[in-house]
Amino acid sequence: MKYSYIKPRTKTPFTQEVQLAVAFFSITIIMLVSTYLFLLYKDYNFQKEKNHILAKQVELKEEIVDMKQKIAFIQKQEALGEKIYTQNNVLKDSIENLFDLVPQRITLSEAKLLKNGLILYGITPNKDVYNFMLQAPLRSIFQETYSSFYPAKNGWLHFVSTNYMKDDFTEEVENED
Amino acid sequence: MKINISRHYLYILLSSLFMFILVLLFAFLVLIPKGKEYREKRMELKKSSVKLQKYQDYHDTVYAKLKDLQSKNRHIITAFENRFDAKKFQKEHKSYFSSLSLSKISKDKDEGAFAVYEVNTTSRISSPKNFYNFLDAVNKSDWIIGVNFPITFKRDGENISSSFTMKVYCNKEDNNATASASKLK
Repeated sequence: MKYSYIKPRTKTPFTQEVQLAVAFFSITIIMLVSTYLFLLYKDYNFQKEKNHILAKQVELKEEIVDMKQKIAFIQKQEALGEKIYTQNNVLKDSIENLFDLVPQRITLSEAKLLKNGLILYGITPNKDVYNFMLQAPLRSIFQETYSSFYPAKNGWLHFVSTNYMKDDFTEEVENED
Repeated sequence: MKINISRHYLYILLSSLFMFILVLLFAFLVLIPKGKEYREKRMELKKSSVKLQKYQDYHDTVYAKLKDLQSKNRHIITAFENRFDAKKFQKEHKSYFSSLSLSKISKDKDEGAFAVYEVNTTSRISSPKNFYNFLDAVNKSDWIIGVNFPITFKRDGENISSSFTMKVYCNKEDNNATASASKLK
């Protein structure tokens, strides 16, 4: 016996309201989880980038230390090189001055340049020429000057002039350099 | 007053409430701390990047200084690297002398990071000017050479015979190895 004219609906727990609620919460949860996953990915990326930066920093530090060592060494080379070049130039000037110091009337036969002295061997027409023209300028340079003479065959005089700077004076000059 | 609500709606309300609490808990307990951490890490990374940039700038400055020094002192650097070659020296400088001979290349006391060799030299020159030119040439030679005392000039007929010692400076072996390694880089 039929009590209704319409066909009965099949009942389901997923009514429209439930579907709406499930859809809403599903979308919310998906958004939250995707944000979380995005943060996790970013976190991983930051860590990776930071490690790269740290590694690069260490590499740069090592390179800087290495370059500084090279700079220090080149500066040492430069300082020593310049010192030697200057010494050679000073030596050249000293020798030039020495030969300029000897007057025309005196002839040198030998000259020994020492670290703190000068020994000259030569021949002079007489003692006065030697004393005025060679010994006087030598005395103004050296603290100790000794001369000895012996006669030459032609009536001139052979001389040996030994000139020294005092050690403390030499050290003083070197320190000034 | 009686609230008339069907069981079905009550279920929806309760489950919605449960889901809402779940969302709130997830947001406050997980998402917000993670977000905070993300912000901190971003700041930290920014600071590290700035620091790295500073290192990079300093590195570039030091590199520029090194290159500048290397180019300015190229002659001195290569001269210190060269080993003394007596034959080559004689060949290059014999024009200043009537005769030139080198003898006894002996190792002298090291000077800091540099090895020093002593070379005794005897020569004949026609005029002192040649010796001055030789001293100028020594400063431009392939080696770092210091002419040292004692120096003797002796009249020998029309010529002057001279004898002097030269000190040749070069890098020590270990420094040479470092220099070559750095050149390879």
